[in-house]
Amino acid sequence: MLLYKAWIETRVRFVAGLIAAAIICTFYMEQHAWLVRWWAAEMQNPHGDHGKEMLLGIHEYGWYLWHYLYDNYLQQVWSLFAILFAFGGLIRERSDGTVLFSLGLPVSRRRWLFTRLAVALLESIALSLFAVFVVVIGSAVIHQTFSLSQVLLHTALMVAAGVFVIAFGNLCYTLFPGNYLSLLLTLVLLGAPYLWLQTYMQHMRDLGRTPWFRYLDFSHTMAGPWHLSWSSTPWVSLLVAWTLTAALIAATVAHGDRLDY
Amino acid sequence: MAAVIETTELKKNYGNHEAVRGLNLSVQAGSVCAFLGQNGAGKSSTIKMLLGMIHPTSGQGSIFGHRIDKERESLLIRQKVAFVAEDKRLYDYMSVSQIIRFTKSFFPRWNHTLETYLLERFELPPERKIRQLSKGMRTKLALLLGFARGCELLILDEPTEGLDPVAIEDVLQIVVSLAAQGTTVFFSSHQIAEVEQVADHVLMIDRGQLVLNASMYDVQEEYRQIQAVFTDPVEERDLRLPGVERVKIEGRIASFVASRNVDAIVEHVRMLHAGSVDVLPISLKEIFLDKVKAR
Repeated sequence: MLLYKAWIETRVRFVAGLIAAAIICTFYMEQHAWLVRWWAAEMQNPHGDHGKEMLLGIHEYGWYLWHYLYDNYLQQVWSLFAILFAFGGLIRERSDGTVLFSLGLPVSRRRWLFTRLAVALLESIALSLFAVFVVVIGSAVIHQTFSLSQVLLHTALMVAAGVFVIAFGNLCYTLFPGNYLSLLLTLVLLGAPYLWLQTYMQHMRDLGRTPWFRYLDFSHTMAGPWHLSWSSTPWVSLLVAWTLTAALIAATVAHGDRLDY
Repeated sequence: MAAVIETTELKKNYGNHEAVRGLNLSVQAGSVCAFLGQNGAGKSSTIKMLLGMIHPTSGQGSIFGHRIDKERESLLIRQKVAFVAEDKRLYDYMSVSQIIRFTKSFFPRWNHTLETYLLERFELPPERKIRQLSKGMRTKLALLLGFARGCELLILDEPTEGLDPVAIEDVLQIVVSLAAQGTTVFFSSHQIAEVEQVADHVLMIDRGQLVLNASMYDVQEEYRQIQAVFTDPVEERDLRLPGVERVKIEGRIASFVASRNVDAIVEHVRMLHAGSVDVLPISLKEIFLDKVKAR
């Protein structure tokens, strides 16, 4: 019943997430033909841009999907909604005035928290699988083929590394109650390093350097390499993400246990 | 009788404000115990500490022998305790039947007969969303969710607030009937008439401290208002006797509340050459006001 309650509380956000994911996937599949034509024109133009990625984009639809969705926009949309799914719980109930009813039930504070996190995780997984479904349908419509197993592996990697985002969002909500304030702070605290690291690490990779904090480049970890296999999976970065996730959840539990309602 | 609720030197501070200051109380099994106090006296803070919603600053407390400051034991407490909070807001996105289904899933001894009876008695529409219920209907629903849990202890914080007189009477009857079946009831209220109607024990709290701990029988049979008119002036210290609660002297007239030893006090007053001594019954409301004003 706790799962059911958490689901009712977040289902509007979940549906909004599905719509956002559908829009982002559909938009980039719809743009594929136009972008390929544009890249082809650029490649034929002696004064145009001749980036290596353009060739991949023209010839590899799988790379195109990975680059625009899993390495960029779907990942960002997914992260945003994963944060939103994680918002709520007893802290939100305090402002709604229902927390005393909830805490009067024989349910520990930790169970409330983990139920919330479990529902956020399940919704995040469902959102990522829904994106796969949209990609499958959309690709069939635009007559493109791709490796479904690769897309599923990228989905799994995005969720596996993205659990950090869920834990971070929930901690922010516990520390700074209020949907808007929490969202703003989460986006600032998570988004600023995310964008900076993404840009900086791309620059470093271009230079062939690998600084130690590459393991904190969660965007890169969530995307993984284009061809994902057991050996190319960023295991160390995943381990770092999981360790930090565990630390964030432990901090949320410790803080939640001490709170007075 | 065994104590169901016990606290020892229980304290709760919010910053510099002392909400509860060394509270020692005991509620016996099977009793209907009223917990009286002004707004901000510390009633809700005490109840929240008992149920693990806030953490005591110091002191100890237990319900059914389980410590209130241990999360694991608090969970055991909440399996045996039905609590209805002062703020009776419920999940407004659920319907009446949904929240009943949700709540009963946590209580294996849920009283289905009482649920059906109260649904009908309170005229609660099962399919209506809680957000569409009036305040009074929400209060009735919150009470149903508390009463039907089949728990050994019922803790009610201002249970009748926002109810009409007919519903109040219904609620008080249910409280009495649950107590008759062995449920211990601990309830806070501002409605002293209700307390006199159903309680068999009274705890009065003021500024975080217990100022009265007496059975209703003692309150009704032992407590007396005594007024004496003296021929010569008397001083307060002349009337400091066991059982005398507070003395007020205006000229040659002394009035005070006696909690026991009334006969001995009257005899003593007569020995001080009182011209007339009136012994009057005193209501719980007068005791309450007397206790609160005394501080």
